[in-house]
Amino acid sequence: MSGGTMLYGGDEIGALVFDPGHHSLRVGYAQEDSPKAEIPSVVGIGAKAPDTNLDPETKTDNSVTPNNARKYYVDTNYVNVPRSQMEVQTYMKDGMIDNWELFEKVIDYAYANVIQSEPEYHPVLFSEASWNVRNNREKLTELMFEKYNVPAFFLVKNAVLAAFSSGRATALVVDSGATHTSAVPVHEGYVLSQAVVKSPLGGDFLSRQCRQHLEKHGIDLSPVYKIASKDVVKERDNARFTLRKLPENLTQSWQNYMTQLMMQDFQMNVLQVLENPYDERVAAQIPMVHYEFPNGYHQDFGSERFKIAESLFDNAMLGAGQLASTSVGMCDADVRLSLFGSVVVTGGNTLLQGFPERLNRDLQLRAPSNTRLKMISANGSVERRFGAWIGGSILASIGTFQQMWISSQEYEEAGKSQVERKCP
Amino acid sequence: MSADVRDILDIERANTPEITRDSFLATKKRNFERTKHASRRPEGMHREVFALLYTDKKDAPPLLPTDTALGIGAGYKQNKARLGMKKVRKWEWAPFSNPARNDAAVFHHWKRVSDDSTDYPFAKFNKQLEIPSYTMTEYNAHLRNNIQHWSKVQTDHLFDLARRFDLRFIVMADRWNRQQHGTKTVEELKERYYEVIALLAKAKNQSIEKKTFVYDAEHERRRKEQLEKLFKRTTQQVEEEQMLINEMKKIEARKKERERKTQDLQKLISQADQQNEHAANTPSTRKYEKKLHKKKVHHTPRPSKVDSVVNAIEIGSSGIKFADLRGSGVSLRSQKMKLPANIGQRKVKALEQAIQEFKVDPAPPPTEDICTSFNELRSDMVLLCELRTALSTCIYEMESLKHQYEAACPGKTLNIPPSLVPIKTETLENSAT
Repeated sequence: MSGGTMLYGGDEIGALVFDPGHHSLRVGYAQEDSPKAEIPSVVGIGAKAPDTNLDPETKTDNSVTPNNARKYYVDTNYVNVPRSQMEVQTYMKDGMIDNWELFEKVIDYAYANVIQSEPEYHPVLFSEASWNVRNNREKLTELMFEKYNVPAFFLVKNAVLAAFSSGRATALVVDSGATHTSAVPVHEGYVLSQAVVKSPLGGDFLSRQCRQHLEKHGIDLSPVYKIASKDVVKERDNARFTLRKLPENLTQSWQNYMTQLMMQDFQMNVLQVLENPYDERVAAQIPMVHYEFPNGYHQDFGSERFKIAESLFDNAMLGAGQLASTSVGMCDADVRLSLFGSVVVTGGNTLLQGFPERLNRDLQLRAPSNTRLKMISANGSVERRFGAWIGGSILASIGTFQQMWISSQEYEEAGKSQVERKCP
Repeated sequence: MSADVRDILDIERANTPEITRDSFLATKKRNFERTKHASRRPEGMHREVFALLYTDKKDAPPLLPTDTALGIGAGYKQNKARLGMKKVRKWEWAPFSNPARNDAAVFHHWKRVSDDSTDYPFAKFNKQLEIPSYTMTEYNAHLRNNIQHWSKVQTDHLFDLARRFDLRFIVMADRWNRQQHGTKTVEELKERYYEVIALLAKAKNQSIEKKTFVYDAEHERRRKEQLEKLFKRTTQQVEEEQMLINEMKKIEARKKERERKTQDLQKLISQADQQNEHAANTPSTRKYEKKLHKKKVHHTPRPSKVDSVVNAIEIGSSGIKFADLRGSGVSLRSQKMKLPANIGQRKVKALEQAIQEFKVDPAPPPTEDICTSFNELRSDMVLLCELRTALSTCIYEMESLKHQYEAACPGKTLNIPPSLVPIKTETLENSAT
């Protein structure tokens, strides 16, 4: 330790930070500014009886664990390959880890291929949803200590971490992710759990809307894996492309997953939120956006790109602005001003064009008159998407935090139930 | 050219075997002397032209800028850090134990080998609140005063939460176990906590050493209610209020206008009466006044910066004009203490510094008295800062005048009367505060 480190209060002890979400699991070393890897939170499950003629790439694939004669495929490079009878399944449900068997596969993969080190050398900090239940927390604690023999473990609510990543201990964290949009008040580093408000309108909801809209207009949604080659066609002309030769028996879940990836690309490139409630005339004046689908079909999108995105805000009960103001309204009157004073916007779905601006406007309308409303939204897409991870990275490498860990000794003595006490 | 640059930068890097600080300084000095004695540049010849003819080593100027780290023209790649001549200090991945922890868990971090292992430096930040505890007998003896609202279990739960969340009552109310103990508000928790603390202190006769706090729950509840009401105002209500206030202002303005007009009329009437009486006298007096005025104007003093400063202070533009919130309807009192937006960045900085200097709480609880005194205090602080700058300008100007005078009449010294000589600034500060 030298004077410099004391000055900045940091002390790095080689901790790892895991931030599980519905879209992906973020893994990396504490003190770094971005996660080492972002692993999709879906796992490909192969057929029960493995084929005798394995394709060469799976042989060298260390993510595959021959367990129960099933094969598991983790991470983009393995999941996105068309394989016959491979089902795709997520291990998350409602913001919490649900399928522990699959989750273990992903953690195994992360240690073997991302961290490339032994788990017993690295303390582990996990993030969790603010509404995580006791049972789940204890299970995770048990898993990390019993299976992975971590030296120390800690669990923090992701809203707290997101607030820390923008340097706040008190903030209203509006997190819009793949499956949820939630508003979580954080007071001096603690989540006010009674005032958490969430809605199931997130990125996946938008993807479904986009898909419905495009299918209604008869646009062929062939994901990129189906296409062998394509010709250049004129705008709105029928696509000319040849199909790729694919293995038989592709499962519906995998095809859906691939289409969803495509829709995510579409929505991030095309959709936009208007700063004021949707108005046909205003929307028509904004320049169209051009988008080319994987099969070569392309066209301009005009007002529909605002109409679809509007569904995140116009809903009377579940609009993002309404969520945030409801959440603040449920808090004690004394903290409301400070919550309005720092509204932290985080989550991948907030990267939708115009999202923070619209949220700002909606909140301004609902906030009491002459309150100071301040929105804090990181500019970079990495900072916005990995807000909670970055907060965890900061927290785990702070000198004064090192006394907080549940060490393996403490776990031996007091068991898993102490996570409820030690990680508020 | 390269020699030229080296000359300007005073660098000489020709095969020096090992650089230590002493040798580096020595060679630098010697080279400097040598270059001085080398062939001199004739008067009027441009430096660049001379450098083309005579370089100290008679080498041709480089055609291309060099950036190799090898040649004599070591270029900009020269590593600056070479001045540090010590050996690299080693770091190691060393175990440490943290005295702030209750167990003896050992973690590892990077540490200099040379640093001796002292206590974990961050352990000293582990501050814990002292929250009193009570025994069963103590509880039975003193704390059974409010049975219908607070049972022993509930009180225990309250104190457990207080310890866990370091008296953050808002978080405590949030984590209060509602299934087992029913709902409690923040005020109820605070009320009970401070009640228990006071009772315990009384029982243990600690009241002399420690200040006991009395929590006025009723007042707090009313305050919260008011705050809720303020927040719950709809935009229509706010607008209506604003509208009414504007209307009132309009009416008042009209009333004033009318009054002014009647007064004017009255004046005109009385003046007309007077003019008739003193018609003969007035012109001469007016002329006299004009003359006087002219004389005064001629006698303008020499312009000085001090005047403007002093004027500004006298007029009263100094200090802070805090926003008067009476016009804007219902508002929080804490808003009164907000600095108005038109204050410059420098003033704000100076103010912050002054507040720190006098060890004042930068955000005191906004009661009526505190609000006014705090605002006055800050206004005075700004005035003090301005007076300080004014004083220093005055002193500076006086000094410069003195020097001017001495330059103009050599041999004479200007004696400044002692009343004008500034007292020590410290005493002045004290008196000003």
